[in-house]
Amino acid sequence: MTAYTVSMEHIPPLLELWAKEYDVHVPVRDVDGFVNFSPWRPSAEIAWDYDVAYNSLKRFFLPPREDLLRFDLAASTAEPVMEAPLQLLFGVHPYDVKAINQLDQLMDQGTADVNYRKRREATVLVALTPEHVSDLAFWSSVGADSVDIGFDMYFTRISPSSFYVEVLSPKGEELLLARGELPRSTLPEREAAKRKKAAIRAKADKNGISFPWKQTPKLMSRHWDSPLWRNKARHCLSCGSCVMVCPTCYCFDVREEADLDLKGGRRFREWDGCMLPSFALVAGDHNFRPEARDRYRHRYFRKGKYIFDKIGELGCVGCGRCVNACTTGIANPMAVFNDLWEADNHES
Amino acid sequence: MAKKPKIAFFDFAGCEGDQLQIANLEEALLDLLGHIDIAAFREVHTGDTGGPYDISFVEGSITRPEDEPRVKEIRDKSKLLVALGACASIGGINCMKNHMPESVYREHVYGDKARWYPTYAARPVSAVVKVDAEVHGCPIDRGEFVRIVKELLLGRTPWIADYPVCVECKIAGNICRYDMGRMCLGIVTRAGCNACCITEGAHCWGCRGLAPHANLDAARYAMQDRAGFTREEVQDLLRMYLGFSQATL
Amino acid sequence: MSPKNNFSTYAPRPATLVKKEKLSDLVSLFEFEQDNGKALAHKPGQFIMLSIYGIGEAPFSVSSAPEAGNARFELAVRKTGTVTNALHDLKEGTKVGIRGPYGSYFPVQKFMGKDTLFVAGGLGYIPLRSLLRYQLKHRDEYGRIIVLLGTRNPKERIFVDRLAQLKERTDMEIHETVDVPDKNWKGNVGVITTLFPKVEINPQNTFVAMVGPPIMYRFCIGPCMDKGIPSKHIYVSLERRMKCGLGKCGHCQINGLSACVEGPVFKYDDIAPLSEAI
Repeated sequence: MTAYTVSMEHIPPLLELWAKEYDVHVPVRDVDGFVNFSPWRPSAEIAWDYDVAYNSLKRFFLPPREDLLRFDLAASTAEPVMEAPLQLLFGVHPYDVKAINQLDQLMDQGTADVNYRKRREATVLVALTPEHVSDLAFWSSVGADSVDIGFDMYFTRISPSSFYVEVLSPKGEELLLARGELPRSTLPEREAAKRKKAAIRAKADKNGISFPWKQTPKLMSRHWDSPLWRNKARHCLSCGSCVMVCPTCYCFDVREEADLDLKGGRRFREWDGCMLPSFALVAGDHNFRPEARDRYRHRYFRKGKYIFDKIGELGCVGCGRCVNACTTGIANPMAVFNDLWEADNHES
Repeated sequence: MAKKPKIAFFDFAGCEGDQLQIANLEEALLDLLGHIDIAAFREVHTGDTGGPYDISFVEGSITRPEDEPRVKEIRDKSKLLVALGACASIGGINCMKNHMPESVYREHVYGDKARWYPTYAARPVSAVVKVDAEVHGCPIDRGEFVRIVKELLLGRTPWIADYPVCVECKIAGNICRYDMGRMCLGIVTRAGCNACCITEGAHCWGCRGLAPHANLDAARYAMQDRAGFTREEVQDLLRMYLGFSQATL
Repeated sequence: MSPKNNFSTYAPRPATLVKKEKLSDLVSLFEFEQDNGKALAHKPGQFIMLSIYGIGEAPFSVSSAPEAGNARFELAVRKTGTVTNALHDLKEGTKVGIRGPYGSYFPVQKFMGKDTLFVAGGLGYIPLRSLLRYQLKHRDEYGRIIVLLGTRNPKERIFVDRLAQLKERTDMEIHETVDVPDKNWKGNVGVITTLFPKVEINPQNTFVAMVGPPIMYRFCIGPCMDKGIPSKHIYVSLERRMKCGLGKCGHCQINGLSACVEGPVFKYDDIAPLSEAI
């Protein structure tokens, strides 16, 4: 992989140039200290040291509400709607890139979801090695500490004033060199980047699941009837917060709304989640997951087994967003997996 | 519907803020008027061309003896009866008085004329007559009202969110109030408002009523045991709009 | 992997309602014709997504047999929700949108030369009818055809006249029952399991196609195996909530499987270990 060394002062003019063509989003800290990806402005102060972005990045590919069709009621015809603004996400942590890669695989599997695909293809991803690890994160223990596909560029800060930048795609290289040639990184610079990545991984290793993550599907298979599901779900609000903030959850509802003139209308999809009570309700009021316990268990099986069975990865990248979002403190894949593991191994 | 459906608005105990929301639709209201005939709407014009009505929107809660025959008459004259706004759909803030001694709230509201105004515990419209649909909120969400009317005009059962506000709050990308050390009823309240209060910097007051599967024990656990609010603080917030529900028990 | 063209995953194509026929109080048969003049090219057991714009989209099993060159197909639908209510109100000649066919199907090749035992509970007859009609169309290629059909009460029976015609045929047998009879009902009374003792089969040579309400599978798989039918010969079709039909939206998941992609037709062996299947 080609790598260049980029100085800090080179970055604002680059962003400015990119912003001419792309909707550029960068991590920005708000007045309360929460970091979110926000549209880049010349005045934007990039939160280089953020630990986790409050909202996941799936909304850039699978918007919370996305039109799929425009229809005509009288003619009963419909035209597909596919919007895909050119966008550049700058400063994405590896576990979040991993989450996007996972969405890529799942949305492409079988019949590809064209709306997703188009947005994804219109996106340039610039990864960034984290400087800090959120207290709630456990990404290094679920195989999401490093990523080698899915991004166009990968920034690692190797000194207060410079970055080691790997370019993975021709697009990434073109954009990085858009303001002229840059020096190729030297061997010591590459070593510095390696050390930086290792250091942050070591920090991240302090919190995690207590067994090799590839064992999780088998672990789950042994625990369908665990009392854990009911114990935890007792406190489940069925509020859907955990699935909404999850970077790898992609379930959706499809609804539609007529225009005011009742002549035309739009069909759209909207984020939905398996934790919501009517998710598996069919006509005739039969609910295939009527209890909070059923839904809670399904979510963790999806994270720990079902997604793995499809693509060989956990459906969880360990970002910790659900842990934070759950106001009753029951949404925590790490705690669930560890509890089940301990139940098997008679520890604690 | 081939003929323009005849629509009427009626109000009981409430501030008529929901009808005001509709009057404030302005252009959208004019568009809607292309599909409907308005028989009675005193926020907009005087008089009532009389029933039967295809759709009656009833605002306000039922809190006086004379309200009952009146709302029953409206029900009899209406093909569809839709509760409009929190007072009508869940009893709303009028139900705060349900948790006070009668003499206290009557004295407070009517002063020395209290004995001329018989009232009793406030109830939602559905406690007295069958309600076909509910437009929730205090005030109602104009966009949702328009959508529900369109769906009724197209002959379909209106889609009403059956999950908590948290879903829409996450969709909006808001910072959770609990992350800011604040209390919020979004965790048990029916969505459909696009989490507007939280988006505007406030918290959820519960004006759309409890979500169908609201887990009140879990909510108390979240508010008291985890977020550290007192039982009184939680009770006060729950009683503001949810006085007619089991949330306040 | 990149889609080759701008073909939208979610855009339906037009079809026209050409005929509507009441089958019972709540169930009607709808015959549609694809506006593109092409056959739907479905396989028995598959479903389509049907759109009534302004109302919504919902999945329906195709009830007719596939037929090359025939742009028409049938759905039998019970009035039970937003889209189905609107569908029942449609006038002949109205256009709708369709996507599909989607999902797995009954393995008609594998059934060839073998006997087929149909087990249909109520509306479960609708997708099975596609398979039955297919087999009757290719009658020589199949062995015995035995249909067990259970309905709650005589009033809810569907395809009544057609069933009467089928009962006349000598190349197949139909055993029907109702849970609760009325005064005119002269047939068998009792749940569908009461029909099993009435049929003689050669179990090793028999395949089962079973569709019914969730509860029915629990009570009918056992009797099939008791008769000696190998579990790998039993095929069921499972209904779930569906929004996309493509395994994306998540609604129809049965444990890790999507009823819309891996299903709706499953080999019993494949779902037997799944706690959420039946």
